Amino acid sequence: MTSRGGVAAAAGFLLGLRRALESGADLPEALTRAATALPHGTRERVRMALRRMSGDYPEDEWGFDEEFVRMVGPLLDFLYDRWWRVQVTGVENVPGHGRALLAANHAGILPWDAAMLGLAIQREHPLPRFPRFLVLDWAFELPYVSVAIRKFGGVVASPHNSLRMLEQDRLVAVFPEGAKGAGKPFGHRYRLQRFGRGGFVEVALRTGAPIVPVAVVGSEEIYPKLGEAPLMARILGAPYFPLTPTFPWLGPLGTIPLPSKWRIEFCEPIETAEHGPEAAADRALVLELSEQVRETIQGKLLENLVKRGPAFV
Amino acid sequence: MGGTLARRLEQDPDFEYVAGLDTRTPALDLRRTEFIHADIRDPSIATMVAATEVDTVVHNQIVRRPGPGMSSATMHDVNVMGSLQLLTACERTKQVRNIVVRGSAGIYGSEPQAPQFFGEDMARLYPLRTRFQRDVGEIENLFATFSRRHPEVVCTMLRYQPALGPSLDTQFARYLSLPVAPTYLGFDPRIQLVHEGDALEALVATVLRPVRGAVNVAGPGTIGLTRMLRMTGRPSVPIAGPLFNSVADGIRRIGLGDLSPDFRRLLRYGRAVDTTRLVEEVGYTPRLATPAAVADFAARRTGTAEASSGRAVPR
Repeated sequence: MTSRGGVAAAAGFLLGLRRALESGADLPEALTRAATALPHGTRERVRMALRRMSGDYPEDEWGFDEEFVRMVGPLLDFLYDRWWRVQVTGVENVPGHGRALLAANHAGILPWDAAMLGLAIQREHPLPRFPRFLVLDWAFELPYVSVAIRKFGGVVASPHNSLRMLEQDRLVAVFPEGAKGAGKPFGHRYRLQRFGRGGFVEVALRTGAPIVPVAVVGSEEIYPKLGEAPLMARILGAPYFPLTPTFPWLGPLGTIPLPSKWRIEFCEPIETAEHGPEAAADRALVLELSEQVRETIQGKLLENLVKRGPAFV
Repeated sequence: MGGTLARRLEQDPDFEYVAGLDTRTPALDLRRTEFIHADIRDPSIATMVAATEVDTVVHNQIVRRPGPGMSSATMHDVNVMGSLQLLTACERTKQVRNIVVRGSAGIYGSEPQAPQFFGEDMARLYPLRTRFQRDVGEIENLFATFSRRHPEVVCTMLRYQPALGPSLDTQFARYLSLPVAPTYLGFDPRIQLVHEGDALEALVATVLRPVRGAVNVAGPGTIGLTRMLRMTGRPSVPIAGPLFNSVADGIRRIGLGDLSPDFRRLLRYGRAVDTTRLVEEVGYTPRLATPAAVADFAARRTGTAEASSGRAVPR
């Protein structure tokens, strides 16, 4: 649409709105009538916004709002295609149905890697599905952030939640490094941190869900963390307060991620069903599997780093 | 609330005899319910209950917030001392086989880090923060102790999520009738409700098929608070967290309504429970899921609003 056409459509919309309001229609009714002056795509969006305003949108029992995810789709698409030029391999290793646990490396302070992971499955998989994310519990105390996470399919990282989700045969994504991964300094990039106590393996064993290791290359460069401000972290109650070349110096602009080049590789699934649910109590097996996942991801990280070449061009 | 239960029970031929005990005379017209006018805190209820020779005792109401003319000390007294007197009465009544308590899922609290669905075994994951929670905690302890000492009696602790329905004056019904509903800025918690019809039927189902221990009662699914307000067409105003308490106190001072501390936490962090035990062991599946309960409430509300405006403007 040319810009002149856009102005004409907007003017038509406003005129229609005034006319409808003068004829005694209430606001939603008037908006619907005026929307006929708009081009089709915009009209659909107005209609959807109005429907959402009356509470007519689906949320599942976890609070996941698929329509909301699709609404922010264009922004994520832009990041995926243009900003980070994501390349995906091995997406066929993600089961198209049934329970499965994705275990990925975690970096880059804000969970952009989770968003790209979800989008990669949406775009590349023959049977696309929305993964659900296990998120560090601290985020759920924050205004707005907690709502956005919930609508994107994030839940508090706790075995209660992951067990229930896997029993519902969902695809669950977990970042076993946790805050240690997201908050590691730039110099330690692509070196996987310790995998906690292997809680994700226990959950996979108890539910018989296969574990799909995922290596994400590129997320480490989006916010190069140079240092920390422990005092700010204490004041905010945050796990850490990062200092990057742009944050917090440029304010909100500092949260714009750098345009690094990304590669995401889904590795071959590690089956857990053969061990049976009792194996979850077997510490040695749990730690062994956890180490196996860690080594797989670390290996694939280095492989993809070489394949990617320079970080930004 | 007790009146509706008594009416439901006396209509059912399975129940030979129904008695109700309250300080307030039932508003409903009851046919064969014997009404005992007594205060649950009074030790004399022991002889009154024993005289009825009932085999099932339902503790139908614990006080959720100190209402008008009731101090919070009285609320504690009714809740805790009342339960204690009732249990003493059950001890004296040799025929008692089942005790069913309409308790509250409020014992789980509303916590940002909480599991998205509380199971019955997760009651003490977090400290009991409010007076009401501590009351419920004490009531649960009393009944658990009783249940241990009297293994022949089956004690069921029903943990109810907040109820919503056409008839009753529940916390959510009051919240949704505020001129403008206050919400926490930047929070949109998952709320889980039980429709009043299901609340009653779940209680009756438990009386017929009692199970030991705690059972969660809620409609399946959850609903975001924003979506709930939009579906019911209520205007809302977001208030920054630190100011919320003063606003809620202001609402109480001008007499519009009282948002209890538990309810305030619920508006911020929400809560949902797992109802597997209700469905599988008690054998009751709630008919209305949470969003359906809200839709039902909204439909009835707009229905009555149109009816009344129709009367106000004769054509």
